[in-house]
Amino acid sequence: MVARPSTAVLLRRLRGLTPALRRRPESLPPAPPANNTHQSSSDPNFTTVSPDEVSHFNALASSWWDPHGPSRILHLMNPLRHDFIRMCRNSVLDAPATTGLTYLDIGCGGGIFAESAARLPGTKFVTAIDPSPEVLNIARGHARRDPSLRNKLQYLNTPIERLTATLGQQQQQQQEQPQYDVVSVFEVLEHVSNPAQFLDQCAPFVKPGGWLVMSTIARTWLSWFTTNLMAEDVLRIVPRGTHDWQKYVNEAELRGHFMAGRSGQWAEPRCMGVIYIPGVGWREVRGSEKVGNYFFAVRKTEG
Amino acid sequence: MEALLTRSRQLRRPASRLCRSCSRQLGAQARRTYASAASQPDIYDVVCVGGGPAGLSLLTALRSNPATAGLRVALIEAQDLAKTHDWKLPPDRFSNRCSSLTPSSANFLDRIGAWGHLARERVQPYHEMQVWDGLTDARIEFDWETASTGRTIAYMTENLNLTSGLLRRMDGIGGTDVFDKVKVENITLGEDKEELDLTQWPVVHLSGGKQLAARLLVGADGANSPVRAFAEIESRGWDYERHGVVATLEMEDEGWGGHDMKIAYQRFLPTGPVAMLPMPGRYATMVWSTTPRNAALLKSLPAEDFLAMVNAAFRLRTVDLEFMHTMQSGQAEELLWRLQHTHVNHQSVPQTVVGVQEGSVASFPLKLRHADTYIGERVALVGDAAHTTHPLAGQGLNAGQGDVESLARAIEYSVLHGQDLGTRMSLEPYNAERYAVNHVMLGVVDKLHKLYSVGSGPLVPLRSFGLNAVNAMRPLKNFFMEQAAGKGAKIF
Repeated sequence: MVARPSTAVLLRRLRGLTPALRRRPESLPPAPPANNTHQSSSDPNFTTVSPDEVSHFNALASSWWDPHGPSRILHLMNPLRHDFIRMCRNSVLDAPATTGLTYLDIGCGGGIFAESAARLPGTKFVTAIDPSPEVLNIARGHARRDPSLRNKLQYLNTPIERLTATLGQQQQQQQEQPQYDVVSVFEVLEHVSNPAQFLDQCAPFVKPGGWLVMSTIARTWLSWFTTNLMAEDVLRIVPRGTHDWQKYVNEAELRGHFMAGRSGQWAEPRCMGVIYIPGVGWREVRGSEKVGNYFFAVRKTEG
Repeated sequence: MEALLTRSRQLRRPASRLCRSCSRQLGAQARRTYASAASQPDIYDVVCVGGGPAGLSLLTALRSNPATAGLRVALIEAQDLAKTHDWKLPPDRFSNRCSSLTPSSANFLDRIGAWGHLARERVQPYHEMQVWDGLTDARIEFDWETASTGRTIAYMTENLNLTSGLLRRMDGIGGTDVFDKVKVENITLGEDKEELDLTQWPVVHLSGGKQLAARLLVGADGANSPVRAFAEIESRGWDYERHGVVATLEMEDEGWGGHDMKIAYQRFLPTGPVAMLPMPGRYATMVWSTTPRNAALLKSLPAEDFLAMVNAAFRLRTVDLEFMHTMQSGQAEELLWRLQHTHVNHQSVPQTVVGVQEGSVASFPLKLRHADTYIGERVALVGDAAHTTHPLAGQGLNAGQGDVESLARAIEYSVLHGQDLGTRMSLEPYNAERYAVNHVMLGVVDKLHKLYSVGSGPLVPLRSFGLNAVNAMRPLKNFFMEQAAGKGAKIF
């Protein structure tokens, strides 16, 4: 058990953050134009992954599947992700396929979402990737505990930028662009260094008519108070240093990125705000995407 | 239900309290001893030990729900289920083990498609309850305000009728692998080999060598649950020093309310409550909670004297009844004489009992037990494995049905959300939903028993005042009836 932070530490953190809060512009810096992504992905060493984030999650690896450990509230959130995806897929006119679904889970961590997606009866296969090798070892070890995951789930230690190449190596042939019915990016955007560029890297992996689903936290005073100060420092229900408030992304920014910045490629934006109430669990709260955790999804246009 | 567990379990499970190197040694030893003989375990999603009402309801609920119908499920039962399946008695004979099923339990059974498989002509709904204090005659009458609407308080059902109906429903849907006439010889944890790590999966070893690995192992295996022992979950409580004497009785007629208005009676005696519950026609089933000595006497009496004791229990003053318990014989004549000196309002007590079905008088010790928790990693307890209660409120079987409904719901939620249904995390909602509810039920029933065991002193007029007061207050009374019927706010 780590000792609670002293008031002085809290104050220091407050002081450290406040100027940043003031400096922060109202929206993300404009995302680089789409053709830039080609250049950056052609550089074999380019990645949107931040090394310090990788080491933070490496340290958390061993407790990932402890139901009463630091990842508990992530476990509790997981069912809502499926509710949200189901809601998205059922919200369009043409009836979605109920079998043979493929998932790509980017930033899968210990595999909380990836395992659950693979277990759903309608799922054909889940590919899950994460840049942290320690975390992936935990994920692989944990998946061995469930016979139903065999042949339905594979973990790859690769950043998204090198996924196509990794899959190609695995099958010993040049790979076409692999595409999935659902590409999920859960609790990742707030950990990457350039969200717009990162999302552009994810986009080609979505099948036409498929969904890109993400979740993150709105960058507001309230979310700083709840996710940084309360969750990490005071209540300690989230490991210290998990969140960097300045990397949070607002719903309007995501909407703008897909609907205005990449117009014509994406449609049907969907959103669901969720709030964690200690002792009760996660609940959908309409409008709460403006202030805290939320899910966001867009559907890739056909053709 | 009476699955046996041999002691070798202790060898197989390295205790977590041992130091790491010791337990590793123990584990290695155990592997050497058992691994060579072991065949590969068959892998199941849900393995239920115990084919009583709780276990059968659970599997039937899972199989009849499209969301959970894809699960691989197995039932393990020590007894021959074919006998239960084909259970049949002539219309004038009733099994002595009966339960009062609340409408909420009946609705659940109906939803899972089992209610229609019960022999309905053997199920007796009742519409009124008469409860009174043996010392003061303070009385409470539970009837729905307008009896003509035919609202049922509960359904008296033979346990065998219920299990038989459930089995027929379960067999009708199919898909459950049934292992009956087998013993559970051992429950161990699985092994880590090749691609699979089953070290957290319970493996049930059956007599005959069959092994079943369970994503979720359900203990529906009764008060001495081997599954509970495997999960190292303590069950705490006490014995009441009381036995429940049961019997199937024949009454002089169909009851004061006739065929359509059946009444249940319960009188609180200082030794424990005696209840007369209506069965179809002129029949009734009795549960008399009393001291082991009185129970032994009742069981030893010839039919004539036994009937006299039952009639006396609902009519005589408690001192008179106490005296009759000291007689070794001659109760029939004694009752005739004493009734001449006792004022009895015949309409307010059950009709006179005129016959007892041969071989139906039996008794069992009464206990209160409550497991510390209903869940462990890949283990869930339901019904008597989780809790045992005093029968005075007729809540035991209904609590089990409530458990099953809740557990089936938790499993369904897990399946729909891709969770591993056996993990503690997935089972938490079940424990949270049922533990507190059952705890209140056990507590209230226990306090009622203790309150009415007091033979003298200030509690006696107080409790009578309470009973009379409740009787005068319609909303409060309706509340109690809603609770007994398993409707309204879920408190019990």
